[in-house]
Amino acid sequence: MNTLSIPLTRTPDPRILPAVWKLLSLRLRISWNSFRHAKLRAKIGRVFVLLLLLGFAYFMFSMSRLLLGFIHSPEFVRYAGMDLQPLIASVPAITLTALFVGTLITSFGVLLQALYLSGDMDFLLATPVPIRAVFVSKVLQAVLPNFGLISLFGLPLLFGLGYSNGYNFLFYPLVIVAMILLALAAAGLSSLLVMLVVRILPPRRAAEILGFIGAMLGFVCSQSGNFANSFGRDIHISGTRLAGFLLIANTRWLPLNWAGQGLVALGEGHWLIGTLLLVATLGLASVAFWFTLVTAERWYYSGWAGMQVVARKKVTRSARPATVASNGIGLGLAHLLPKPVLAIVQKDFLTLRRDLRNLSQLVSPVIFGVMYTLLLLRSGGEPPAGRGEAPTWFMDSFRIVLAYSSVGMSLFVGWMLLSRLSGMGFSHEGKNYWMLKAAPVRTSYLLASKFLVAYLPTLALGLVFLTVISIMQGLSLLQFSYSLLAIVMCLAGMNGILLSFGVAGANFTWDDPRKMNAGIMGCFGQIVTMLYVPISFGFFIAPLGFAEFLNYPIAYGYLFGLIFGTGVALIFAILPLVLVRKRVERLGES
Amino acid sequence: MPETLIETRDLLKLYGDKVAVNSVSFDVYGGEVFGFLGPNGAGKTTTIKMIVGLLKPTSGSVKVAGHDIQTQPMLAKASCGYVPDTPNLYAKLTGRELLRFVGDLYNLDRGQVARRIDELLRMFDLMNAAEDTVDSYSHGMQQKASLAAALMHDPKVLVLDEPTVGLDPKSARLIKDILRQLADRGAAVMLSTHILEIAERMCDRIGIINKGQLVAVGTMDELRTLDKTGQTSLEDIFLSLTGGTEETAIAEVLK
Repeated sequence: MNTLSIPLTRTPDPRILPAVWKLLSLRLRISWNSFRHAKLRAKIGRVFVLLLLLGFAYFMFSMSRLLLGFIHSPEFVRYAGMDLQPLIASVPAITLTALFVGTLITSFGVLLQALYLSGDMDFLLATPVPIRAVFVSKVLQAVLPNFGLISLFGLPLLFGLGYSNGYNFLFYPLVIVAMILLALAAAGLSSLLVMLVVRILPPRRAAEILGFIGAMLGFVCSQSGNFANSFGRDIHISGTRLAGFLLIANTRWLPLNWAGQGLVALGEGHWLIGTLLLVATLGLASVAFWFTLVTAERWYYSGWAGMQVVARKKVTRSARPATVASNGIGLGLAHLLPKPVLAIVQKDFLTLRRDLRNLSQLVSPVIFGVMYTLLLLRSGGEPPAGRGEAPTWFMDSFRIVLAYSSVGMSLFVGWMLLSRLSGMGFSHEGKNYWMLKAAPVRTSYLLASKFLVAYLPTLALGLVFLTVISIMQGLSLLQFSYSLLAIVMCLAGMNGILLSFGVAGANFTWDDPRKMNAGIMGCFGQIVTMLYVPISFGFFIAPLGFAEFLNYPIAYGYLFGLIFGTGVALIFAILPLVLVRKRVERLGES
Repeated sequence: MPETLIETRDLLKLYGDKVAVNSVSFDVYGGEVFGFLGPNGAGKTTTIKMIVGLLKPTSGSVKVAGHDIQTQPMLAKASCGYVPDTPNLYAKLTGRELLRFVGDLYNLDRGQVARRIDELLRMFDLMNAAEDTVDSYSHGMQQKASLAAALMHDPKVLVLDEPTVGLDPKSARLIKDILRQLADRGAAVMLSTHILEIAERMCDRIGIINKGQLVAVGTMDELRTLDKTGQTSLEDIFLSLTGGTEETAIAEVLK
């Protein structure tokens, strides 16, 4: 491949700074215009969020000041039995390291979007604006939001530290300078990583993979606390061990710590060592940024230009041909369904499977389910004895409810999966919806296909959870069969509700699948199904409790449970779809 | 007398207070290529979307192959193929899967679908990319895939919105030839375009819409007689009917 190269100016181009400023002010103008033309409610919301953020920054400052002041107090030192001053002195180094690493990681996705997927590159590169200015402005635009977010925590913390430790005035402006330079260096390195990745993977694929990894990491991080609380009661991290770890982390051998250590030294009046450390860091950060700037802009231009030249030459992995069986739909079902319904179901399964950004949303219910199943199984399936004053009938009824906790878990997992598959069933079509609308497909077929796309995998997943939990809990065959029927019906009702709210809030204008849920209809759907699930499940299970309470044979309980539960679930499965039928006919016309 | 395959009567489309299409009535007959011209924002795409059933008219009616698009949408849509101005296709389907999907939507026989897919892929020179996902296609390939999808069920009516935008000359020529062949076989082809040369050379009749109103319909000869200024080229007639002559005068001054 012939890579395009551009002559890089050896001396700084005097046009760069004005051009950068021009591009940044254009971005500011766009942001201001979008604020100015927003609805009043949105404007008030944004101002409120801004005030909230400022309030939060002040809260952080006050808290860190108070906390650090308290740690300095002789009472606390006596209580803790150790001098925490070295630990406190490590806070700037740790904060600035976190800022650097945080910016490096979070900038990756934003830079990938800004440098390769933003769609304005054709325009910008056709204008007489230096490529370096374009690159710098893109990096700055990408890094600013993340920098702002990280600073929201870091800056008040460091200022609070400076205030409580009585550092001299130089500490404060230098904190800001160090933060900016470290963030720029991190963003520069991140941009290099982006350009390396883009040379291996197409940008859109890279964004999909990144979205998947990001969602999974976010999910695992958010849930690890719950999991650790339940399973890690034996793990204790003492304050002394943590302090020891932080002190080791604040080693002078790590250049990332120099800025923090230099700031502390300057704040405490150790001018020589402070200046040396700080100048060394700032110098290294500047060199790193300059190096990435020069290298990245060359890679950027050649990479971007290469993308245009070899757009079709790139090796595309041929997709595995779709067959009915490969999509998880049995051949029997394929024969039962009308051709258009089957076609839409197949198409949705293929597109969901092939876009990793969808996959991340679909995997999370499975992880949630596994985690909470483990928690459920740990409880042993016995109701808490309490003080032993509860009547026998109550405890027996409670046992019945707990025996069907497998159904609750399956419904919970199903609810999460359906919220995505069913709630966004129509939105999933996006800008391609015209293909369905222009084709001779009945509204009932459309609804049926979207119903099945959501229902079949959810049912399969629910059944897996039900089977596993039932085996672990030793449920009888009768209980298992009854649970199975309850799940089949309850999920159908849930699906009907979520699908109808999905129709009401359908959004076909998204570019990123993670942004297809625009509007409040999805939330309403989730709230309504949260209310529906206990009602529907209650109709299945309450007759069993009543039979127990009234000393009737349990068979009566099952019979009435079946009649009431199935009836209620069917109403919720069908009625909402009938109500939105007319709306489906007009979808995509706004 | 050729069969009327597209029939629009008093089509009106309002977006709030704004009139997008106002009292538009015209017919397109089997065996003809009908060009639909108009300046930007004149209402071409809105009219086309009402014809293919993507938009509901505020009032008025559309019949496709004799079936009312509002009261008999299944029959009307089954007779119609549509190529939008932007080829938004399912990016994660391969070309072959996309065509099979369309074939199934139109309830075609499996064997017929397989045969038709091969025919169309070969015709549009997409055979080598048949197993690649659509997101790896260039704009021109997507445009061709979109046209192939519209032709899957061999429609009696084909409606195309700016079909030649972004196509190389070879592909543009291919599409023009295909459209002509379709018309020669008795189908009605309606296309909107900004390229007046294409309209002049390809279309049997031309409709010109301006500010939501149909200002002229007819063959080139009929349009020439309609124009009082005695213009002979479609460009001059178009500018004279849509009020673009002032802009032409300004352009002349700027030269």
